[in-house]
Amino acid sequence: MTASREKKIAYGMLVGPSVLIYASIIIFPIVFSLVAGFTEWSGLGVPEFVGLKNYTRMLSDPVFRLGLRNNLLIVAISVFGQIPFGFALAYIIYRRMVRGHDFFETMIFLPITISAIVVAKLWNQIFSPAGLFTQLMRIIRDDPRFVLSVFEDRTFAIVPILFVILWMYTGIYMVIFLANLQRIDPGVIEAAVIDGAREHQILFRVVLPQMVNIVFTTAVFAIAGSLKSFDLIFAMTGGGPAHYTEVIAIYMYLNTFKYYNYGFGSAVSMMIVFLSLGLITAVQSVFRRLEARYV
Amino acid sequence: MLHKRFLMVFAIVALVGGFVFAGGQSEQPAEDDGVITLQVQHYLDLADNVSASNFQELVDAFHAANPDIRLEFDYLFNEPYHNKLQSSAIAGQLADVMFLWPGKRTGEVTGSGAIKDLRPWIEQMDAEFAPAALAPQGANGEIYELPEQVTATHVMFSNDRLMDELGLEFPQTLEELIAQGEVIREAGYIPIAMDNGDGWQMQSCLLSALVARTGGREWLDAARVGDASFSDPEFVNALRVIKALYDNEMFSPGINQAAYGQALTDFVTENAVYFIDGGWRTANLTGEMTDDQYDYVSYHVFPALPQEPGIPDSTAVVAGTGFGMNADLEGAEADAAWEWIYFFAGPEGSAIKAEQGWLPAVQIPLPEDSPVLTVKLADFLGSTPGGYVIDAVMDAEGMGVLHPLLQEMMFGNVTPQEVGDRYEAWVAANDSSRS
Repeated sequence: MTASREKKIAYGMLVGPSVLIYASIIIFPIVFSLVAGFTEWSGLGVPEFVGLKNYTRMLSDPVFRLGLRNNLLIVAISVFGQIPFGFALAYIIYRRMVRGHDFFETMIFLPITISAIVVAKLWNQIFSPAGLFTQLMRIIRDDPRFVLSVFEDRTFAIVPILFVILWMYTGIYMVIFLANLQRIDPGVIEAAVIDGAREHQILFRVVLPQMVNIVFTTAVFAIAGSLKSFDLIFAMTGGGPAHYTEVIAIYMYLNTFKYYNYGFGSAVSMMIVFLSLGLITAVQSVFRRLEARYV
Repeated sequence: MLHKRFLMVFAIVALVGGFVFAGGQSEQPAEDDGVITLQVQHYLDLADNVSASNFQELVDAFHAANPDIRLEFDYLFNEPYHNKLQSSAIAGQLADVMFLWPGKRTGEVTGSGAIKDLRPWIEQMDAEFAPAALAPQGANGEIYELPEQVTATHVMFSNDRLMDELGLEFPQTLEELIAQGEVIREAGYIPIAMDNGDGWQMQSCLLSALVARTGGREWLDAARVGDASFSDPEFVNALRVIKALYDNEMFSPGINQAAYGQALTDFVTENAVYFIDGGWRTANLTGEMTDDQYDYVSYHVFPALPQEPGIPDSTAVVAGTGFGMNADLEGAEADAAWEWIYFFAGPEGSAIKAEQGWLPAVQIPLPEDSPVLTVKLADFLGSTPGGYVIDAVMDAEGMGVLHPLLQEMMFGNVTPQEVGDRYEAWVAANDSSRS
């Protein structure tokens, strides 16, 4: 056996198991979903090929469109809420602008350490018709029938969930930014201070340009995570009432596992993949321009 | 070199072996020293202390009476139960015994051939059961699960103590009921405790009974096959009643946000004068209420509507849930599975359940020491005619259209007629009854 052949076999043995595992748990389900998305299949029996019918049905379904709108709002609150807010908090702590920064760091990070289901139940205990806030408002307003009507509004029912998402996940971005801020050479900032730079100049001229790649990475995390949002919302509202808080992942879940439309559910899951890829590509192109400008 | 080849072969064998064993194997009934072990998938909320302890009492009694059969339970509740049942059926790894519904809720699984038809066993003791309990569940008359009870999905419970306090009597008409609303609200109580956050309660526990009144069984039979329409007044008039109740603030505040169980709490804690739910709530009321409360809780149907061309003064009834068995079971394992299925729904289990507040499907005289509310439920069922429960006869996916529409109607975003039209459009295009 030649040395080159031996090397190939060794590589194959070392990499093969990982490739096989990756293929079986990542590649195979995606390919399977892609194929199943072109079929009508209840999960039992033989799938029937239906072409693009599942995709046309999905796009013409107002419930899907409402779910898509809600998902895009979650993407927006993640990218334009969690990331800037997380960065601002990290910067405040990094620059020691508050006392007790260790305490704030812990408190802000705390929500992410709690299970999404527990968080959902916690907020439900506060805002449900029998919840703490509702009961308190009934006493204050002397109105025994008071409930938070925002949950029954088609346009705004998602807002309380956006708030909880912002509250819950900002901490993780803060920690990511803080870790990367701490990698900046303190000498650079000291030099800027000695040169008379003001705080906003340090932020925009020194710190932010070094954070462009991190912002891009967190934006990718935020987009991918937002499009597959499920657990928190499902536990909080189940997508209701009347689909008002439904997101695409819940729409997929209900169609697949409750109504046994495995083919249709597969098409919805592929739509999540396509949307993720599309949005991430768009973000990539924006950040390439930013990179060219600042880095 | 030989050493390297040996290592390579070993690595490949280990890898392939790992994949094979990781693939798992369906668990088969195990026989060990004459004891047959059965895997049972059961629908139970372990957080519901009353239901969990009641069920454990049944299991203990079964094990004591059948030392040669051991049951190993896997408990799930709500959608996770159905997800696992469905995925197990697809993977060919169903448990030996599983909890099933008589209608379309588990119809995909029961209709797949993966569940055994119980008729050969049932035929030997069918006289013991109420005829309604043994209605066909499959296309060819198959019975896949032995119902533990005949269920009334609509009961209007009343708190007679509160009614006396407010100077009220049970209303005879819808108009009288709505007129009571102001008196009840002014006294700080909820007129009708009901929770509809999950969406199914309004359809199952009220709309079905109202449609039985405004349309009746014949009309719903015709609507199923397309000889009548859900746009018809028979259906829309029932929707209008719900809309009128909502607009007149008769239901619990935030009814469409409230989780299932909130209304029960409001009724048990005497914050509500009336409570609409299914007859199955008798077991919970028996477990949660005091002896004094039993005496002043009454069972009624919804008051009379202006026009009831269907079945006047009716509720909605359906054969209850129960256990079925895997079609692969044969011989001693199948007989052991039947022992449990029959114990659960038959005279022995039913006697235990009657003491817990259940009204069984098996025709046994209620024990003299039956809970007060069980006796009241028996009287209610014995004297009340019943129509169909809509979700038992129409496709489950259509309920995913109807339930949100009911909520939207209450919010004022669609009219009752639009609800009927949109549900009819879905049924006409998709429901299996129309194809």
